[in-house]
Amino acid sequence: MSAKTLRYLIVIGLIALWELLPRTGLIPELFLPSLSSTLMAGWTDAGEYGHALAVTLYEVVVSMAFACGGGILLGAIVGSLPRPRVLIMPMVSSLYAVPLVILYPVFTVWLGIGSESKIAFASIYGFLPTMLATAAGIQTIDPQLLLAARSMGATLSQRLVRVIIPAAIPTVLSGLRVGGALVIVGVVVSEMLISSAGIGYLISRYRTILDSPHVFAGVLLVLFLAIAFNAVIRWIERKAAIWQTGTRAGEANDEIASGAMQPAT
Amino acid sequence: MQPLANVTPLKSAARAGAIEVKNVGQVFKTRSQDVVALEDVSLEVKPGRFVVLVGPSGCGKSTLLMTMAGLRQQTSGTITISGAPIMQPDPDRVGVVFQEASLFPWLTAEDNVEFPLALRSVPKAERRAKAQDALRLVGLEGFGRRHPHELSGGMKQRVSIARGLVQDPPVLLMDEPFAALDEQTRMTMGDELLRIWAATGKTVVFVTHSLTEAVYLADEVIVMSARPGRIVDHLQVQLPRPRTYEMLSGDAFGALRDRIWRHIRKSA
Repeated sequence: MSAKTLRYLIVIGLIALWELLPRTGLIPELFLPSLSSTLMAGWTDAGEYGHALAVTLYEVVVSMAFACGGGILLGAIVGSLPRPRVLIMPMVSSLYAVPLVILYPVFTVWLGIGSESKIAFASIYGFLPTMLATAAGIQTIDPQLLLAARSMGATLSQRLVRVIIPAAIPTVLSGLRVGGALVIVGVVVSEMLISSAGIGYLISRYRTILDSPHVFAGVLLVLFLAIAFNAVIRWIERKAAIWQTGTRAGEANDEIASGAMQPAT
Repeated sequence: MQPLANVTPLKSAARAGAIEVKNVGQVFKTRSQDVVALEDVSLEVKPGRFVVLVGPSGCGKSTLLMTMAGLRQQTSGTITISGAPIMQPDPDRVGVVFQEASLFPWLTAEDNVEFPLALRSVPKAERRAKAQDALRLVGLEGFGRRHPHELSGGMKQRVSIARGLVQDPPVLLMDEPFAALDEQTRMTMGDELLRIWAATGKTVVFVTHSLTEAVYLADEVIVMSARPGRIVDHLQVQLPRPRTYEMLSGDAFGALRDRIWRHIRKSA
């Protein structure tokens, strides 16, 4: 049996267990409502969930633009210039270990409990890994490639567009994968903490009234969001990283993405 | 060997491909001290000659080559190629071939060869035609669509040579181009390079660690000493061409190799 069919079987088995365990009464419905009642809860309140999903999606997209745009820009600067690197890198690295969620209450004070505070928090949350990966991607570019480009008469801007950017793409993408996932986490967690809209808010609200099927419907929605994001990144990686087998960028990439990427040869 | 016809129409044909290095010094400043990499290096290469630079590790032979390519500014002295001083990389006059790693892994072989033409916005059709010619010259017809990771070490180096030749510069500078290859591939590539050189009539300056490779390929071998890099000997290799494998075990070959080795042993 191939690994792929086995994977499908495991997923199907889990889905079946989800349906059967609560139905047979082995697990109380309060702890784990059956899949059908979860789907039913989501279906009957589809409008409410749809609205929540729209809010969450909006926050995720805006945060990702900030996190990825800012992360790539600053990462590129830090990666290519030694002076800012010495200045900023130690700070960023130690910041990485701080549970940033402690900042969230501060953001709600500054920005209110609407989307702005979620976007601010999730942006910062996803920004750090994107920036670190971009900086690493640019730092690990083979200097021989730049020398070769220079020997062929490439100007500084030509070297940037034709060598540095394509060489850094695989590492930057793996940073986006981590950063983007953290953006989703950041948005949902902040919605669950203090807010008035979004999937996280729905999950949190239904939990307080012990309505398990509605809680799990929200959980399912977040799950789909994460899987969809992963699929998009995978697709981009396949398109962009056809060459990266056996290169330095490929190796650096593997370290960061911990082998999550498949070589597309 | 072919005469140099139409390689650089802008320069006088007689001097196209000539290299003149006069009293070149290269000093690297580090925080604690100045390191003299090259000291008073002078040499002259006539158009169409195959010259090999050898010397112990760290003798500055690569530094000299990079300076000739305009990739590094010398501290003193002058370098003229095709009759004009070289201050910065000039792909019209000088093509450079590096070690294996310098192909762009995200480009196909033909896109790699076209790269220097793309930098100056040569029209696509002309670019493609020139790249195909260069790939044919190095024996890689039909491999243009492959990415570097799909090519063997020797084929990658052929692509590099094609890239160095695609703008038809009169001078080709090669920095240990076969160092990463295994012995057999290295021998084959040496013969291939001699064939390409004979077909194009380029002036070649070739850096290597291998004494056998040096004598096998060269018209002239220039021996450098360890830091500070200086020229300690300049040998003429009178062996007939085409060079053959049998020459490697001949007395003349052995005598030249021994002479170079004695210099290197002294300074290493």
